[in-house]
Amino acid sequence: MEDTNRSYDLIVIGGGPAGLSAAIYGGRAKLKTLLINKGTLGGMVDTTREIVNYPGYINVSGPDLMSDFKKHAESFGVEFLKDEVVSTDFAQDIKKVTTKKKKAFSAKAIIIAVGSEPRLLNIPGEKELRGNGVAYCATCDADFFTGEDVVVIGSGDQAIEEGMYIAKFARKVTVIVLHDEGILDCNKVSGECALNHEKMEFIWNSTIEEVLGEESVQAVKIKNIKAGKSTELACQGVFFFVGMVPSTRFLKESGLEMDKRGYIPVNELMETNLEGVYAVGDNRTKYLRQVVTAAGDGATAAVAAERYIEEQNAFNTTVLQSGKKVLLLFFNALDNESLEFSTLLEEVNLELSESYKVVKVDMATKKNLAHKYKIEKVPSVVLLDKGLEITRLDCSISKEKLKAILGTLPKNRRDKN
Amino acid sequence: MSLQQLNANKFEEIIYDSGESCLVIFSRKSCHICKQVVSVLEELQPNYEGKFGFYYVDIEDNVSLFQRFSLKGVPQILYFNDGEFYGKQAGIVEEEQVEGKISNILEA
Repeated sequence: MEDTNRSYDLIVIGGGPAGLSAAIYGGRAKLKTLLINKGTLGGMVDTTREIVNYPGYINVSGPDLMSDFKKHAESFGVEFLKDEVVSTDFAQDIKKVTTKKKKAFSAKAIIIAVGSEPRLLNIPGEKELRGNGVAYCATCDADFFTGEDVVVIGSGDQAIEEGMYIAKFARKVTVIVLHDEGILDCNKVSGECALNHEKMEFIWNSTIEEVLGEESVQAVKIKNIKAGKSTELACQGVFFFVGMVPSTRFLKESGLEMDKRGYIPVNELMETNLEGVYAVGDNRTKYLRQVVTAAGDGATAAVAAERYIEEQNAFNTTVLQSGKKVLLLFFNALDNESLEFSTLLEEVNLELSESYKVVKVDMATKKNLAHKYKIEKVPSVVLLDKGLEITRLDCSISKEKLKAILGTLPKNRRDKN
Repeated sequence: MSLQQLNANKFEEIIYDSGESCLVIFSRKSCHICKQVVSVLEELQPNYEGKFGFYYVDIEDNVSLFQRFSLKGVPQILYFNDGEFYGKQAGIVEEEQVEGKISNILEA
């Protein structure tokens, strides 16, 4: 028996702006919606001191904005669960997820909004000395290095801006940059500011291959990628800002398509390669990763999911539970042959005193169904009895032949009626 | 349930005078990773009621404490038993890691 407490219309995995927006739209559409979130609600936004580009808020703190998102979702009846999804089963119409606390939930549609996390370099000393000089968050840790020498790895917005923040406390900040001299990945304004900063130095064409130190960081081993030479630089702190990776590792076995880095490709409707599974926000391949685009993704996916669920429900009642046998006709409204065949099929059914129920499926809007029945051309007809496929019809035959076939089929197979 | 906050005096009392088996998270308000780890601890705390203490030190209010342990960042969970330091965990930690450490101490 399906436990109704644990079965939902929609499960959203992840509670950043994308997930919360999806939940708002899901709740508003009266879908029974559960949002499962691992850490604190708000995701990466919760870590942002100041947001100045979310429409309607001239200046707002990340946690405040996310708390508004959450209240909004709650007002539409969304349920929240603090737990971590560790495994999934997306193979059937009813999707299942299992959490770290060993709870199982099911839903008709799933929206994945798990975001991304800082990338680790996985070099010797990085893990061992974490918290003892190796750091990832300037706001949290910069003042521990007051008057000391700090190394920053990376040249993106985060690396350079956080580097300047660290320079308020440190004696000297040395930035290790992969590129040629003068080239930084960050925005121009910050870049110029940093290059002229009296406390900041740059080492070009280089990366770090090891963090050295017993109890705490004493130095880093820097490798010049052009010359291939390694040198040591004494320091007390190392901050890693080497980009983000999507937090999609738990989906590796799910059958979900991902790119090499783990981002999930989707179409305009946020649909993944799996029916009823959507991906939104930072964990999908996209051009701009901002709160406003995450919110847009969430809205799109929730509406797409709502329509998909509606389609599934309608199919269940009109086709799978139909008393009569169903002629499922796949057609394209722009294709004359399909339209003519559709008329023909209806006529034949009338002449057979409607012993069948004709259900028309527009290929343009019901892609999921077409995919389910592996329909490649229009018109196509699948004959179903209580949802089970009995046969497929040849759509190029004459009316007489069609009538003859349909006239004999039910008799042969009829048990009652 | 939120963790009990310690100041320097309270810290002295609980860790050294009474030698309680406990952990202390060193944290600060502006640190989001700390928030995550604190919420992990808050969830674990009820499982160890009466057996193992869970405490919180705000490093901005208690500079002397984090200097004493020469900490280089937050969050850090420090473990104590019988007034002795039993090691620490830095950065993001999973509940299993905390549970493992606690059972090591309780079984010692």
